[in-house]
Amino acid sequence: MAKTTEQDMLAIAQSCIAMAKSAGANDAAARAYRVRDVSLDYRDGKVEKISESTTRGIVIQLYANGRYASGSTSDLRPEALKTFVTDNVTLAKSISPDPFRGLPDAALYKGQSGTDLQLEDPKYTAVTAEEGRRVAKSVHDAARSVKGKEAILSVTSSFSTNLVENWMVTSNGFAGSNRGTSFFISAQVSAKDGDGRRPEEYDYAGSRFWSLVGDMPAIGASAAERTLRRLGSKKGETAAMTVLVDNRAAGRLVGFLAAALQGGNIQQKRSFLEGKAGQQVVSPLVSVTDDPLVVKGFGSRKFDNEGIAAKPRAIFENGVLKSYYIDTYYGRKLKVEPTSGSLSNLSWKLGSKSQKELLSDGKDALLITGFIGGNSNSGTGDFSVGVTGFRVRNGAVAEPVGEMNLSGNHLEFWKKLVAIGNDPFPYSSMRTPTLVFENVSVAGT
Amino acid sequence: MTGDPSGISRRTVIGAGAAALASVALTDLLDISSVFAKPGPTDGVGYFSRFGVTEQLLRNTLSSALSKGGDYADVFFQHRVSNNLGLEDGIVSRANANVGLGVGVRVVKGDQTGYGFTEDITPDGLRRAALTAAVIAEGTPKDGPKRFKITEAKPNRYPVKVRWEDVRPQQKLAMLNSLNEKTFKADERVKKVNMNFMDQGSVVLIADSNGRIVEDVQPMTAMYLSVVAEQNGRRENNSVNRAARSDIGFYTPERLDTMVSEAVKRTMILFDAVQPPAGEMPVVMAAGAAGILLHEAIGHGMEADFNRKNVSIYSDKIGKPVAKPFVSIVDEGTQEGARGAINIDDEGNAVGRTMLVEKGTLTSYLHDSISAKHYGVKPTGNGRRQGYEYAPMPRMRSTYMLPGPHTPEEMIASVKNGIYCEQFSNGQVNIGAGDFTFYVKNGYLIEDGKLTKPVKDINIIGNGPKVLELIDMVGNDLKIDEGGWTCGKDGQSVPVSQGLPTVRVSAITVGGRAEQKG
Repeated sequence: MAKTTEQDMLAIAQSCIAMAKSAGANDAAARAYRVRDVSLDYRDGKVEKISESTTRGIVIQLYANGRYASGSTSDLRPEALKTFVTDNVTLAKSISPDPFRGLPDAALYKGQSGTDLQLEDPKYTAVTAEEGRRVAKSVHDAARSVKGKEAILSVTSSFSTNLVENWMVTSNGFAGSNRGTSFFISAQVSAKDGDGRRPEEYDYAGSRFWSLVGDMPAIGASAAERTLRRLGSKKGETAAMTVLVDNRAAGRLVGFLAAALQGGNIQQKRSFLEGKAGQQVVSPLVSVTDDPLVVKGFGSRKFDNEGIAAKPRAIFENGVLKSYYIDTYYGRKLKVEPTSGSLSNLSWKLGSKSQKELLSDGKDALLITGFIGGNSNSGTGDFSVGVTGFRVRNGAVAEPVGEMNLSGNHLEFWKKLVAIGNDPFPYSSMRTPTLVFENVSVAGT
Repeated sequence: MTGDPSGISRRTVIGAGAAALASVALTDLLDISSVFAKPGPTDGVGYFSRFGVTEQLLRNTLSSALSKGGDYADVFFQHRVSNNLGLEDGIVSRANANVGLGVGVRVVKGDQTGYGFTEDITPDGLRRAALTAAVIAEGTPKDGPKRFKITEAKPNRYPVKVRWEDVRPQQKLAMLNSLNEKTFKADERVKKVNMNFMDQGSVVLIADSNGRIVEDVQPMTAMYLSVVAEQNGRRENNSVNRAARSDIGFYTPERLDTMVSEAVKRTMILFDAVQPPAGEMPVVMAAGAAGILLHEAIGHGMEADFNRKNVSIYSDKIGKPVAKPFVSIVDEGTQEGARGAINIDDEGNAVGRTMLVEKGTLTSYLHDSISAKHYGVKPTGNGRRQGYEYAPMPRMRSTYMLPGPHTPEEMIASVKNGIYCEQFSNGQVNIGAGDFTFYVKNGYLIEDGKLTKPVKDINIIGNGPKVLELIDMVGNDLKIDEGGWTCGKDGQSVPVSQGLPTVRVSAITVGGRAEQKG
């Protein structure tokens, strides 16, 4: 198989279902995928690395005699694939039966949206590595041209694109495929600081359409300015204070909440949000919808990874928990309808103010622009994370601070949210706005 | 897809949670019996000959790779099979098998890298991957190697008595079921037990334009056991894990029993645990997993790619004193069966022991072949990659500190108010600024020289070079942790080990709870 065509990939997925059945599986799902990646790094005046590849493979799920196994392989030679599927059925048969395992109810496959999600740039193939080299150089050069550039030690700009294709079939009637492109530009800049420190910052932008990535050299300039603003960073004092979390950084905190919304964590008694549906668990300012149908969204989809038709649904409404992320297996274990086990895009009810306006409201505060390390216990809600950012004094961004920690418990922390910005971060599927919390613990000196 | 490339500035290490475990072994796809079958002087291809790979194919591929005049090219073939078994709610009802087969082609020109890979192991597939990688150079073609020389006398750091593919699933199931039962029996407060068991076999072949050819068979196994307990309506959870490049013999009854008792103890103690006060204080790091401190505070910063790019806080510190004279830090890949052990690195280079810090002085970076050439030194065997899909770069193996002159008892006794850190889940570092963190799952307050209340779920943040200077006591009790640590860098994960004797840091910022208003 020299070049695999689209028809080949769909046929391979279908053949896996047939092979699974003939090996003794009662039910099966198969997904064939193909991903084309092109990336280029440009550092300090020349190309550092260029990488191009097309990868493809098969992911299968098998149900045999009430037992379940799954697998993936990139070895698509027909005889190897047959051995793989057959062995996987044997594997399934060797483990314990589980009454909750099975394909989704076929009724849930129905009702896919007719929206044109616009996830694929028809001009994808025209955006070559050579184009990437030209753009990455312009991003690099812009970073090297900012005011204060003398302190810059190194600039690496990057260009990356991909085309992802999936073909999915199940033995109970699902067949679907999807394709999507994405384009990202980024820059990372290091600068010389006192004490031998070389603070680094980055910026990036991306889109599903090359023409919509935006002003690319501006990304380079912004990365350099972000880095230079970090010069002289010091540890701030330990205090309970007002904290603004930058829209780019806020996804990390929201991810902690998302972990507690997972069906697996709820059923396994590892979620501080278990049993709290219908209750006010976060600030009434929080209204968030999981929205798989955002046009050009990074997390958009017409069906989820089980084939369930994707629909927008409320997660939080005025701070009240409305729904969880529950897949077929945990839905059956919890005796509830599955909603979908994974996040698509988040749509936030936005506030009216920009980050700048929110800053001017906060006389004395901390602006968090990045997190480093840390973790969150999804069972108890305790969390503690390293932070970098800036002190805010008299309503304006003041000196850079770092080497500090933000700690708390989510059940208390999210009730202290007092304002939400009007600035959803456009380059991630969580699309978080700037978030403002009052009276939270920050550790420093 | 979040598409967040911000990972470029982050290097992390995570414990073997469910997410960190790749996957575990039933199929006989990976029949490694022929790996070293007759690798004669004319054909050094052993295992991969079953996929049609010959020396001629390797020569042709390397010639294509150098067709635009790169300095150097190599190919990295990999066939890996991993198997997972998951236990939940009392039964093993999840099995998973993953197979990866592919080849990566790399072309190097100075510090520059071109990379392509394919899963299509045919002359045409290989040629296309090679031509993709070739574009990094823009010169006249160079010849590939005329003939290959097999690397002799490769060490055997992961001897295996029983191949994973010969272990019947029933044997693994019995082990998991027994562990589950023992965990519930150990304490009536245990409400949920989760386990994940992984075994993996990976065979690699590396051939380069200098005519070197080498194959290696790399086993790995990991077991993850987590517990949820309830007491008076409150819940707590914790976990333990073990990992090794070994066979099923690794799971001795003693080791399994220790996992159960540790998992239960670490969970139950959380019912009494507090979040400590926030701020700077002395910290005593317990021997073992606390090696995470070294991984983040110095290990990543010593990876030579960051230094040749001039972006590490250690870029200008070689030969300079960075710590007290009783501090020596090594990175090695030689400990038999360790998760971070390797016979050769993923560029085919020999792997030994590298001194990062010798008696307080910064001595050597961790090199791959690109950085070694840049600095004019020998590669240190740190060129590693996640798999055939990725180009290698300098990575740690097993990073630890040599024993020092102090005792754990005198260290604890010396602290008036501080924290004793025992168990960890993850850490991260910013290479240039030097700020690093590690997350503490279990520990104790130290009050007036004694361990008092247990503490939980706190992040600790420091600055690498500053913390090295502030290590003012080093114990005589070095312990290498057996945990399933996975290191992440630029989107690639590799298995690592770490260790530490008991160590005192005189001041570091502990992320506890600050006094709150109202």
